[in-house]
Amino acid sequence: MSRIKITMDVNGRRHELAVEPWELLVDVLRDTLGLTGTKKGCGEGECGACTVNMDGRAVLSCLTLAVHADGKEIMTIEGLGKRTKLHPLQEAFVNEAAIQCGFCSPGMIMAAHALLKENPDPTEEVVRKKIANNLCRCTGYERPVKAILKAARMIKEGHHE
Amino acid sequence: MNDQCMTVGRSVPRIDAVEKVTGNARFAPDLKMEGMLHARLLRSPHAHARVTGIDTSRAKTLPGVMAIATIEEVPKVINNWFFLRTEKKEKQMFLLDRVVRFVGDPVLAVAAESEDIAEEALSLIRVDYEVLPPIFDPFNAMKEKDIRIHEKGNIAFQVKKTYGDWEQGFRDADIVFENIYKTSKQKHAPIEPIGSCLADYGPNGNLLVYSSTQLPHWSKMYLARALNLSQNKVRLIKPYTGGAFGGRCGLIHGLELMCSWLSRETCRPVRMSFTRKEDFTATETRHPMTIAMKTGITRDGLLIANQVDLVANVGGYGTHYIGVIADCLSTGVGLYRCPNVNFNATAVFTNTSLTGAYRGYGNPQMNFAQESQMDMLAEAVGMDPVEFRLKNYRGLGEIDPVLNQEILSDGMKECLEKGVKSFGWKEKRTQGESLGPKKRGAGMAVMLHGTGAAGALPDPASAAVMINADGSVELLTAAADEGQGNRTVLAQIAAEVLGIEFEKISVSETDTGITPLDGGTHGSRQTYAGGLAVKKAAQEAREKLLRFAAKELDVADDDLEIREGLIYNRRDRNQSILLGDLMRRVQIGDMSVNEQVMGMSTGIAEAMPGYYGANFAEVEVDTETGEVRVLKLTGAFDVGRAINPSMVEGQITGGGVMGLGWALTEELMLSDGRILNNSFRDYRLLRAGDIPELDTIIVESHEPTGPYGAKGIGEGCLVCVASSIANAIYDAIGVRMKDLCITQEKILKGLEDQSQGS
Repeated sequence: MSRIKITMDVNGRRHELAVEPWELLVDVLRDTLGLTGTKKGCGEGECGACTVNMDGRAVLSCLTLAVHADGKEIMTIEGLGKRTKLHPLQEAFVNEAAIQCGFCSPGMIMAAHALLKENPDPTEEVVRKKIANNLCRCTGYERPVKAILKAARMIKEGHHE
Repeated sequence: MNDQCMTVGRSVPRIDAVEKVTGNARFAPDLKMEGMLHARLLRSPHAHARVTGIDTSRAKTLPGVMAIATIEEVPKVINNWFFLRTEKKEKQMFLLDRVVRFVGDPVLAVAAESEDIAEEALSLIRVDYEVLPPIFDPFNAMKEKDIRIHEKGNIAFQVKKTYGDWEQGFRDADIVFENIYKTSKQKHAPIEPIGSCLADYGPNGNLLVYSSTQLPHWSKMYLARALNLSQNKVRLIKPYTGGAFGGRCGLIHGLELMCSWLSRETCRPVRMSFTRKEDFTATETRHPMTIAMKTGITRDGLLIANQVDLVANVGGYGTHYIGVIADCLSTGVGLYRCPNVNFNATAVFTNTSLTGAYRGYGNPQMNFAQESQMDMLAEAVGMDPVEFRLKNYRGLGEIDPVLNQEILSDGMKECLEKGVKSFGWKEKRTQGESLGPKKRGAGMAVMLHGTGAAGALPDPASAAVMINADGSVELLTAAADEGQGNRTVLAQIAAEVLGIEFEKISVSETDTGITPLDGGTHGSRQTYAGGLAVKKAAQEAREKLLRFAAKELDVADDDLEIREGLIYNRRDRNQSILLGDLMRRVQIGDMSVNEQVMGMSTGIAEAMPGYYGANFAEVEVDTETGEVRVLKLTGAFDVGRAINPSMVEGQITGGGVMGLGWALTEELMLSDGRILNNSFRDYRLLRAGDIPELDTIIVESHEPTGPYGAKGIGEGCLVCVASSIANAIYDAIGVRMKDLCITQEKILKGLEDQSQGS
């Protein structure tokens, strides 16, 4: 089988790539594009560490074929904010001590990003339900949930998006 | 000084938080090098077998295969740590061996241009096995004479310790309870799978290894020894690490040493990253234990005799089992002031997956048995469980009989008082609410855990503090941060001593080529042992810079103070100089000096202080389905002093949830030695929606030997969670759960036995 040409927008930049038909989005992001912020925790869609946004929705990039990203807009953690200008979610994760080892954080933040796009004012219960796909072994989820709720307030109060 | 701390006691954000939220933090699986090869292991499908033949001829011709390492090629070198006193006699785990001892034991490795090629090569290799009879049950393994898992037999380690006159103790006891407890095989399951390494024999002939280890210096020493290199030829860098919890406490079986060997053979960098399935199948787990415990008390509720017969299932290979058993006695049984103790323990090899260090280090297993016993005994004498604990625990001023050290700080009473209040113990305990088939109950348990290992194991900590010409500071420490945040806490301590802003401190990467000797991140030790080293190094630097300042300002050293980077005369605040101005003059300006102000420290902590804690749990048990729902978990822990309260809370909530998992959902299930639930689908970690109300209480007892009064927290916060859940279940339904994890089936079976018994 020959490689397939795809075009995708990743973090606001257009990429034309030739991918193997079986290649996974997570591997294209990490290995081909060098975007290692997206993590691989299980490769089976169970831990959520590989969560990215595709056309604004949270997807598990380890269960998504790269060819399915053809013509799509992908946002990874690298596209959310910059070191010098953090997104409210990133800022809240920093200030609310929502991070320990940080391996699940990019996926959890991207899951939360998709959630807040869809529902800017979620209850704690909704947040817990929506990030139930993202395993965290360090925090017990207490602080990440607080951080997501805080980010929602920050966005509502007009912090930059 | 303690009362006016600027940085210590503040919840500053962690120093690596921004790197982690932006995706900039690179973990071991993210690392790449030019010309890097990818390695994969072929693992045994048998629980016990002898490798009789390996045919690699087809794999060798596959384009892209660069090296194959079988037992014919690699030297028979030991792959586990034996520097530490407790394991030095146990030379059982080799890089590769002719006998495989569990399903997943490495048989050979392939290094290839890509992971796919390496995988394909593995499928082209034929291995002939002579299948040997396996033993899965530790009690069978102990009896078995003909089937020997290791040459020396199936007993890995055996110990008997007594103090007092335990036989007399039981004769004097008015009430004696004897029960058997079992604990499950729990996996660390950090979200970065265990087992990722990149090794490179550079053109200078030195070995550079990137590995997410908890023990960088011991691992470096071990690699040097195994590869017959002098220690200055091996450099180990620990990149960002996605959690460890004891699972990276030493070299990983088949990982660092194999990558290093393959790199030496191929003259190329070699990376190997285990999959999640490999993490579940072939990396260490918590030691499952069977603990028979007999406890005697007097009529007025005084503990007078304890007997423990403990069997730990080590698996095919084990690390840390001697230390784990030692902790079952020292902080496990030693939690209580019991004058007469008879402790017997046996660690046994079986053909199940290997075991090692895991948060709590034997203490959770022992605590589950002992705290269940205490709950029964309190009930038997009609005492409140809290009161019973207060009466019997070993506290301030007493001598710990195992380590023979005096207890200098003790927050147990405060943990219990605050816990009782915040949890609502009296109300929840007496209500015993019943909602149809759903019964509610409350239970509690306490624990003691050691901080560090001073006196028990080699336990060095070191630090260097270097002040730059602009007054900023570089802190060099090998205190490996696995995610708990010790680099941040150590920076806070340095900032406090030096009187500068926290933001002015940067902390080095953990790199054995740069950062001096450290005993590793284990035993809840880094805030304490690492903190003491950093404090001393920073004090030395402070003294030096004050001498320069005194000369510059023409005042006595003793009159000087530093606050937020300004050095001033306490008697006359107008006499002052900015640290940056002074350092620039010292380093560059004053040609007669030209030095960098530095401070260094290396050595061992003076004690191994215990830290106390208590958990209170409220549960709701559905007597029709056996489902247990935890409604609230209160954790009150005495950390001596919280250098960073938010991060301490993060440990208590995280350890609490990991403990809940061990109590209720987490158990590796084996059938004929094969792990059945080797994925997150089948091995159930708790998710965000499963979490009860978590109530966190920090108690500060000020440990006099600790930096700013601090002692540990990392492990203790897990130790008595499961015990408190089991005791709460008893309060709810009157059934004692003696077998972890507590599944719905076990609850229903317990209820059935209860109704038949009555």
